[in-house]
Amino acid sequence: MFEFFFKYPIPVFTKGRLVLLGSWPGWVLLLLVLASAAGLGWLIRSRLSEAAPKIQTWRAGVVWLLQSLLVALVLVLLWQPAITVAELKSQQNMIAVLVDDSRSMAIADSGDDRKTTREAAAVKALGTQRNSGILAGLQRRFQTRVYRLDGGTARVAKVDDMQPKAAATHINDGLKQLTAETADLPVGAIVLLSDGGENGGGIDLDTISALRNRRLPVHTIGFGDPQAGHDVEMDEVSVASRAMADSRIRATVTFHQRGYAGRKTVLAVKDGDKALTSKDVTLGADGVIQTETVFFNGGTAGVKRVQFSLAPLIDEENLANNAMARLVSVSGEKRRILYVEGEPRWEYKFIRRAAEDDHGIQVVSMLRTTENKIYRQGISDPKELADGFPVRAEDLFGYDGIIIGSVEAGYFTPKQQELLREFVDRRGGGLLFLGGRFALADGGWGASSVTELLPTFLPNAKNTFHRDPATAQLTSAGADSAVTRLLDDPAKNVERWKKLPYMMDYQNAGTPKPGATVLAEMNAGRGRLPLLVTQNYGRGRTAVMATSGTWRWQMSQALGDPTHDLFWQQLLRWIAADSPGRVVASMPTQRLMDDGRVRLTATVRDKEYTPAPDARVVAHIIGPEGSSALVDMTPVPNNAGTFQAEWTAEKTGPYVAEVTAGRGAEELGRDVLTFERTDGVAENFHTEQNRELLEKLSSQTGGRYWKAEELGRLPSEISYSEAGISVRDTKELWNMPIVFLVLLGLMSSEWLLRRKWGVI
Amino acid sequence: MKLLQAMTVGSIVAVFCTTLVAYQRTADWGYQPEQSNVKAEFAWSRLSYNSNLGSSRYGGYGYGRWATWSRDYPKADRQFLIALNRLTRIQGRPTEQVVNLDTDDIFNYPWVYAVQVETWSFTDEEAKRLREYLLKGGFLMVDDFHGTADWENFMTGMRQVFPDRPVEDLENKDEIFHVLYDMDDRFQVPGEQYIRTGRTYEKDGYVAKWRAIRDDHGRIVVAICHNMHLGDAWEWADDPEYPEQFASMAFRVGLNYIVYGMTH
Repeated sequence: MFEFFFKYPIPVFTKGRLVLLGSWPGWVLLLLVLASAAGLGWLIRSRLSEAAPKIQTWRAGVVWLLQSLLVALVLVLLWQPAITVAELKSQQNMIAVLVDDSRSMAIADSGDDRKTTREAAAVKALGTQRNSGILAGLQRRFQTRVYRLDGGTARVAKVDDMQPKAAATHINDGLKQLTAETADLPVGAIVLLSDGGENGGGIDLDTISALRNRRLPVHTIGFGDPQAGHDVEMDEVSVASRAMADSRIRATVTFHQRGYAGRKTVLAVKDGDKALTSKDVTLGADGVIQTETVFFNGGTAGVKRVQFSLAPLIDEENLANNAMARLVSVSGEKRRILYVEGEPRWEYKFIRRAAEDDHGIQVVSMLRTTENKIYRQGISDPKELADGFPVRAEDLFGYDGIIIGSVEAGYFTPKQQELLREFVDRRGGGLLFLGGRFALADGGWGASSVTELLPTFLPNAKNTFHRDPATAQLTSAGADSAVTRLLDDPAKNVERWKKLPYMMDYQNAGTPKPGATVLAEMNAGRGRLPLLVTQNYGRGRTAVMATSGTWRWQMSQALGDPTHDLFWQQLLRWIAADSPGRVVASMPTQRLMDDGRVRLTATVRDKEYTPAPDARVVAHIIGPEGSSALVDMTPVPNNAGTFQAEWTAEKTGPYVAEVTAGRGAEELGRDVLTFERTDGVAENFHTEQNRELLEKLSSQTGGRYWKAEELGRLPSEISYSEAGISVRDTKELWNMPIVFLVLLGLMSSEWLLRRKWGVI
Repeated sequence: MKLLQAMTVGSIVAVFCTTLVAYQRTADWGYQPEQSNVKAEFAWSRLSYNSNLGSSRYGGYGYGRWATWSRDYPKADRQFLIALNRLTRIQGRPTEQVVNLDTDDIFNYPWVYAVQVETWSFTDEEAKRLREYLLKGGFLMVDDFHGTADWENFMTGMRQVFPDRPVEDLENKDEIFHVLYDMDDRFQVPGEQYIRTGRTYEKDGYVAKWRAIRDDHGRIVVAICHNMHLGDAWEWADDPEYPEQFASMAFRVGLNYIVYGMTH
C-alpha cells in the first residue's frame, strides 16, 4: 500500500536524503512560496468586503491556506524534488544470515499453531526450497552466507542440518566475531533470526560501534512468545560468597511468574541432598518481580554449593529455570576478638560464655582484677598480652575485633589510642564499646582522640551510668538486622525484643552521629536512649552497646533460651567477621556462564596493614577432575599492593583459588576464592523472546525488527544499505501518485468550499 | 527409779547442750543486720535454705540462733566484702544479700554462698530452681561442713539438684586456684574452735577437700570446701587469737572463687 502511493518502499524515505534537482537555488523557492502566500492573502483581503457575508470570517483564512498550499506544492514540483539513497549493487554484495541454534530455540511456541519450535520456524522462514523464503529472495540479488549463532558464529552449509542444541547464546560475541571475520568482505547487511536470549549480559557498545563504523545494519527477526503462558522463573539469588562456620546466612531470592498469580509454592534451600531451609511462598501478579528472604545455617567449614529452588507447578512450561545454585565458602577459621575489661563484672562472664558456644569466635580477654593484676583468658600462648594492651600495630592488628568494656580512656596511652583508631581505619577491624561505670563518657572517652570512632556524640557529663533497670526495643533498622535478629520474621523479632527481661543497668551514650545506625533503643527512667548503635568508619566499623546488664537475659529466662547467647554471638560476628585479612582476593563474578575467562585481583598488605607492592603473589587454582594451575599475579600500576592475573577455566565445575602472598621467606597471608563455570545453565533462563533486545539492536545499527508477516518485503528492502558495495541512486518524487492526489485534493477542496461559502 | 534415771539423763543432755552453745562463740553483730541501699555490680549472696533438722527452732528461714544457713552471718559476709572491695577491682555492695530458692530473685545474683550444707533440704521445686540457676551461669560455693556424715548429708541434697553430675577433687593446676592468687600450697582452714582446741579439723574431717561439680563445658558451677570453715576464718580474722595464715588463706580462696565465678 505504501509503495502504491509513494512509489518507493519505506527505507528509501527513512534512509535517503531529500534533494532539489532544479537549477535555481532553494532560497528562491522559499521566497516565492512566501510571496505567493502573501499575494494571495492580500488579494483575498482586498476582495473580502465584496464577498458574501458568510465567507467574511475564518472561512476566508481556510480558502487562503488551501490556495497557498496548492501554489507552494506546484512551486516545489518545479524545483524537481528527489531522494538520494544508497543501494547495494546487485550480485556484488553478501548478506550474512545468522541463525540462533541455542537450546532455547527448541522451545515449541512458534508458528501458526504455536507448537512449532523456534528453530523450525526460523528454518521455515529462511526457506529451504528454491524460490521460497527469505534466502531465495536474497539470493536473487545477493550472495548469502548462513551462520549458526550460539557461543560464537560458524558457517553452515545446509540450513536443514541445524539443530537447537547449543548450550549458550552470545549474540554480542557472535556479531563481534562476524564483524571481524568479514572485514574484507562486501557484507551489505546482517539478518539475525533469534529469540534474543543473550546469555552474556547484552550487546556492548564496542560491538555497536564496530557495526556502525561499517554502516552495517542488523535486521532482526524474532521468534518465540514474548510472554510465557505458565512459568515460574528465578531471576536472581543474592547471598554472601563467604561465611563463617555455623553462621546464619541470609539469601535474597527474586523471581517472577506468569499464569500462577495467587498460587502457592515452596522455596527450598539445599546443600546437596541436605535440606537447609524452606519457605512457603504465595506467588504475586503476572510478570511482577517478587523478592523473598530466607535464612539458613552455613554449617561446617568447606565450599558449599547451595541450591535455591521453587517447587514446580502443574503445567509449568519450563522447569529448568526454577532453580539456581550459588557457591558459599564457609570458613572454619576462628575470628579473634580482644576484649579489654577494666573490672570483673557479670557482663564479661556472660559474653565470654556466649562466645565459648560459638566455634567461629575466640574471645581473648584481659581483665583488670586488681589495680596491678591482669587476668588473661583465651590466649594462644603465655606471652600473649603478657605486657598488657599491645603497643605495636602488628600485635594489635592480629585481632579481628576489639571490645572495650568498663575501662577508662586514660588506661590507654596516646599511642595505644592512635592504634585503636588505625585498627578500625586502616586494618578494617571492628570496635565495640560497652557501657559501664568506667565506660563511655564516665570513662573520659569523650575527651579522648578515640571519640571520633564512636558512633555517638557522648554527653559532656559524668554519672551517665545508672544501675537501674532498662528494657530494650528494636528500631526499624534493627528489626531486620543480622546483629539483632532473634527471629527471622522482622515483626516477630520486634515483639520478641519487647518481651526480653529488663537489663540490670544502662548508660546514656549520647546522640547518634550522622551516618550511624541505631539498631536498638532502651526505655530507661522516663526517657528513651540509644542502646545499640553502629557505624562504618574507614575500612572497619564501630558500635556502642550502652549497658552492662544484658546478662539478665541469660539468668532470668528459661533454661535453654538462646536469646542472650544468640544476640552476643551475632554481635561478636558483626565485629569480627568482615575484618579483612592481609590478603584479600576477589573477582568480578563467581559464576562463569559459558565463558571460562576470569580475572583474579588481590590486595596485599603487610603485618601493619600497609600495602605491600613488593610481595610475590601466586594463585593456586584447583579445578574439577583434579586439574590445577599456578598463576603468578602481577602488580597493577599506580595501585600499590594490588595484583592481578587473567586465567581461563576450561572445564565446567567448581574451582578453588588459593592466593598466597609472600615477601622473601615471610608469608604475608593467603585468601581463598571459589568460583564455578557452568555451561548451558543460562540458556534455561529468560526463555521468552527478548524482543526489546532485538529491536534495540536493529534500531541502533540502522536495521529493522521484522515480524513474521512482513518477511516477504525483507529481500527487497534490505538493499537500502550503505555497507558493502553500494551506489547512491536518485529517485525523483514529482511523479509519485500521492503528489497528484494531493494536488487534486487541494484544488477540489478549495473549489468546493468556495462553492459552498460564496465566491470571493 | 526410772524417773530419776530420766531426770539424770535429761540433766546431762541439758548441761551438754548448754556447754556446747556457750562453747560456740558468735560475733556480736546481731541477727537482724541493717541492709544497704547501695547499688553495686556484685552482691555477696548467702543462700537461705530449709534445714533438715526439722524443728522450727532449728530450721526454717528465720534468723534464729540455730538457723544453719546463717552460721557466721553477717559478720563473715561483711568482713569478706571489706576485703573484696579493698583487694580487687570488683565493685561489691558493702552488705550481703540473703537469697532463697522459693522465688526467681536468686537469678539476679549469679554467685551464692552456702554453709552447713549437711543440713540443707530441698523441695523438688527448689532443687529444680537451683539446678537451673547453676546451668544458666550461676555459681555456688559451699563451706563449713565436716566429716563423712556431713558429706553424705550434703550429697543427699546435691543429688536432688544434680542426680548424675560427678563430684571431682580439684587439682592445683585448676584455673580456680590461679585466677587471682596462685594457690598451689593450700591447707586446711579451721573454724574458731582452733583457738581453744588447736585442732584444724572437726568431726572426722581430718583432711581439707577441695572439690567441685562442673557443667557440660567443664566450668565449675559448685565449688565445695569440705572439712574447712572459711566463713569462721573471715568472721574471726580480726581476732588476735585467730592465726593470720588461716584468715589470709580463707580470703584468698573466697576471692579466687568469686573472680572465677565472675569470669567462667
